[in-house]
Amino acid sequence: MKGHATATGNGFVDPIAAIYRKMLLHPAYSLLILLLGAPVSAIVYVVLQYRKFKYGYKLIAEETRNKLLATGYRDKLLLEAKDQLIRKHRFFGQTVSTGQTELEANRMAEIKFKETFNHELEKRLAGENGLKFSFGDTYHRLALNPAFFTLSVIIGFPMYLLLAIYSMPYLKYVAERMVMSIFVILGVAFLVFTILYISPMNPAANLLGETATAEQIAAFNHLYGLDQPYFVQLWDTIRGIFTFDLGKSFAGNENVTAAIANKFPVTLTLTAISTLIAVLIALPIGIISATRPNSFFDYTFMFIALLGLSIPNFWQALIFILNFSIKLPWLPATYNPENWLSAIMPIVVLGTGLTAAVARMTRSSTLEVIHEDYITTARAKGLARKTVIWKHAVGNALIPIITVIGLQFGGMLGGAAVTEKVFNISGIGSYIVDKQFIPDIPSVMGGVVYTAITISIVNVIVDLMYAFFDPRIRSKMKQY
Amino acid sequence: MTNPTISKQEVRFRLKSNQEYSQASFAGIVSLALGFVLLLNSYVPGDGSFKPAVLIASIAYFAFALLELAVWALIRNDLIRSGAIRRSTRMLGYVLLLSILTANVFVATMAFQLIKQKKSAAYTLAVYSLLTTLLVFAVSALNLFKPYVANGFLIGMFLLIVAAILQLAALLLVAKHADKAVMPRWMGLIAGILILTSVSGNLFALFLGLLLIAKLRDKGYSSGSKLGEVVERLSRSSTSMLGLLFILFLLTLSITSYLTFDYGLAIENNYSLILQSPELAYPLGTDNFGRDLFSRIVFGARISLAVGLLSTLIPLLIGGVLGAVSGYYGRHTDNIIMRILDILYAIPGILLAIAIIAAFGASTVNLILALSVGAIPTYARTMRANVMLVSTLEYVQAARAFGSSDRTILFKHIVPNSIAPMIVKSTLTIGTVVISTSSLSYLGLGVEPHIPEWGNILKLGSAYLETHAFTAVYPGLAIIALVLSFNFLGDGLRDALDPKLD
Repeated sequence: MKGHATATGNGFVDPIAAIYRKMLLHPAYSLLILLLGAPVSAIVYVVLQYRKFKYGYKLIAEETRNKLLATGYRDKLLLEAKDQLIRKHRFFGQTVSTGQTELEANRMAEIKFKETFNHELEKRLAGENGLKFSFGDTYHRLALNPAFFTLSVIIGFPMYLLLAIYSMPYLKYVAERMVMSIFVILGVAFLVFTILYISPMNPAANLLGETATAEQIAAFNHLYGLDQPYFVQLWDTIRGIFTFDLGKSFAGNENVTAAIANKFPVTLTLTAISTLIAVLIALPIGIISATRPNSFFDYTFMFIALLGLSIPNFWQALIFILNFSIKLPWLPATYNPENWLSAIMPIVVLGTGLTAAVARMTRSSTLEVIHEDYITTARAKGLARKTVIWKHAVGNALIPIITVIGLQFGGMLGGAAVTEKVFNISGIGSYIVDKQFIPDIPSVMGGVVYTAITISIVNVIVDLMYAFFDPRIRSKMKQY
Repeated sequence: MTNPTISKQEVRFRLKSNQEYSQASFAGIVSLALGFVLLLNSYVPGDGSFKPAVLIASIAYFAFALLELAVWALIRNDLIRSGAIRRSTRMLGYVLLLSILTANVFVATMAFQLIKQKKSAAYTLAVYSLLTTLLVFAVSALNLFKPYVANGFLIGMFLLIVAAILQLAALLLVAKHADKAVMPRWMGLIAGILILTSVSGNLFALFLGLLLIAKLRDKGYSSGSKLGEVVERLSRSSTSMLGLLFILFLLTLSITSYLTFDYGLAIENNYSLILQSPELAYPLGTDNFGRDLFSRIVFGARISLAVGLLSTLIPLLIGGVLGAVSGYYGRHTDNIIMRILDILYAIPGILLAIAIIAAFGASTVNLILALSVGAIPTYARTMRANVMLVSTLEYVQAARAFGSSDRTILFKHIVPNSIAPMIVKSTLTIGTVVISTSSLSYLGLGVEPHIPEWGNILKLGSAYLETHAFTAVYPGLAIIALVLSFNFLGDGLRDALDPKLD
């Protein structure tokens, strides 16, 4: 099966069969392809066995084996392995019993023998009548028959879909990332649910008060399914996450997903705007700092950036409120969706950390790129300084910056809870914080998991942007 | 310029390669800026007058800033003319030393550097250990103005003075003898005493003691210990040394506060003193229960440092081991470990902490665990990348060829050589942990509300933002100073430990 694609001159089937064969080499994909095209696989298997029987595959194999054994090849291998082992033990001064050495040598010899045997067998079969008895080749042979091919497309459509995805590197990459994200989301749901499940807190007692009787608590637990076994609850929750139905919250009896759908856009809009503004401010600062390293300008901006990283969001928010709402009545202290002025302070506070991180990253990655040989070449060619920086350096410096932006965006979405609390924004963060005191399990669960899902999607986008910005990654993607 | 024979490039090289030159400009600019900040703060907009105490401090800072800038100009002149700083300019360092009386550590550290022409790691450490003890002593002495002091106050202050005298003696001896290739044997005794003084939390003294012992044992055979090399490189950046100074100052203060500070002032309500403005007895004012804000912030340092260090150490160890195993064994081990950690990585740290605290309740222990769990994946990723890099080196192959077991190779040969980026990473993340701790406390999800922790103090203070803003401003400044120090130190360590920059 090693890399000798049989070209039969059929321009349509050949590439498909080649992909099929290639996918069979990959353990996960081969399993997937055999399962997705189960009816096709079954036919191919039957045909393969029939062909093996018809051409006396077993007989030929036996013959080859006997021939090989007769030459004393096996004994030679065994002696070699034994000798090797004994010398190794002598070198390290180890004492190993003869029985164990024997066993080990046998094992080593067996592996080598099998390798040679397979090789010989293949050579012989190919030499005799140009036949190959592998799964992939059998499929190829069958697919050349238009009737079988049409039938297989009908009964094994998912398999061909998979083949199509696999044949396109980008699509394959995207699909793989998606599948991974789904696993991560399942894991997140499992983790958060388990944490909340093993919690010693008692939401029923917290909500109903100290005077609640045992029956009342039991009724509450029954109503929200808290008396169900662990796996039933887990399954319900995971199903709820994917069908956007997490049931009713414990307090207030509102629909959890509806509530989250109301609050999420607020947080997402604010964080997206502040990310955008932060990047617009940070990139030029970082690049200018990098072009003049160790100047006064560089030191000042990097100090400010470090300061921005060191300020706790809530303190910055409080100081802003103190200065711009209380001392100077310029901006409202609490957020109000109707008044865009009230969004300025939250956006600035949310974006400070990101601006600082991106500016620092831009500086260091641009500095690194500037010292590369190709930049020297560009300068030596006589290009203007501006062209060298903006056309040759920045593009390549962007990759680690994108990583930082992606990471920080996730952190910002999670950390927005604090800022939201200070400015009284009814976003997802403050929703989770409000609900966690009970703890309102479906609400906390939904808030955390949907935030994690958003972050996963952002990360997929970031990964795709790598391919967009970096030709090296693009070519690597095509190869693997 | 004055000397026509040297080129512009040479002038620039002389200036850039000189440490004192850049340190002098840094110290001058920072004290000038601090002078302005103090001046602004001394101004009372209501009646257009100035607060006398703050004004005097501001003038003192301005004076030293101008002096420092004058010294800077002299250094510049010397360097351009002869390429070295003259003795008379170095003598001015003694004048600048007086700045320590105004707690101007920027000028003071610069002055110490200026006085000594040939600086060694030991000298730098000796200076900083003395400075730390003096600062702690000065801050603790503020308690004298309080109506009463803690029971252990006199003992504590006495011990601090003793430590300061010992460290001063060590500084003088080190300045005299540490440059020699072979030091006199009794320096071992000094080293022992220094290590003893470091129980106060003054780790500078501990490092110095260890450095001296290493040097004594070495007997001039090798070029010096690794610790000395790191300190020497670190001391080239004034900001990272100042960061370390502040961190160790807080550490020493929080350890000595067991003797010198009275916990009662920080937690017991005193309704006759509600929301007092800053004065000598209550340097940062009092809060809405009449508790001394200054004592509260000092005791808060304890919690912040403890939570910060523990929630960095736990994920550092767990993540480090997971990352090392994953990077070394590769394939399926790697896949399984990293995919599981990806799940943790997908949840933002704060959100995961909120979920864990929602489940198990708000307490300091839960807070530490919650913050630790979220940080494991980042450490594991860093360690994995390092281990993968180091595993391909030839000496690892050599170790394998000699028949070392996997465990020996991993933990004896690979891990010690991939630990440096982890140290840098952990220093940089302690700052984030300190911020997360106070943020969660501010939300009511962190440290128990009755414990004076910076986030808790800020939370109480934020209710009085309109009338008594200082109750919210000062704890915030403390948080920023600590986080900034860790960030400076982390940046400096990265430059000092990163072999790429060599």
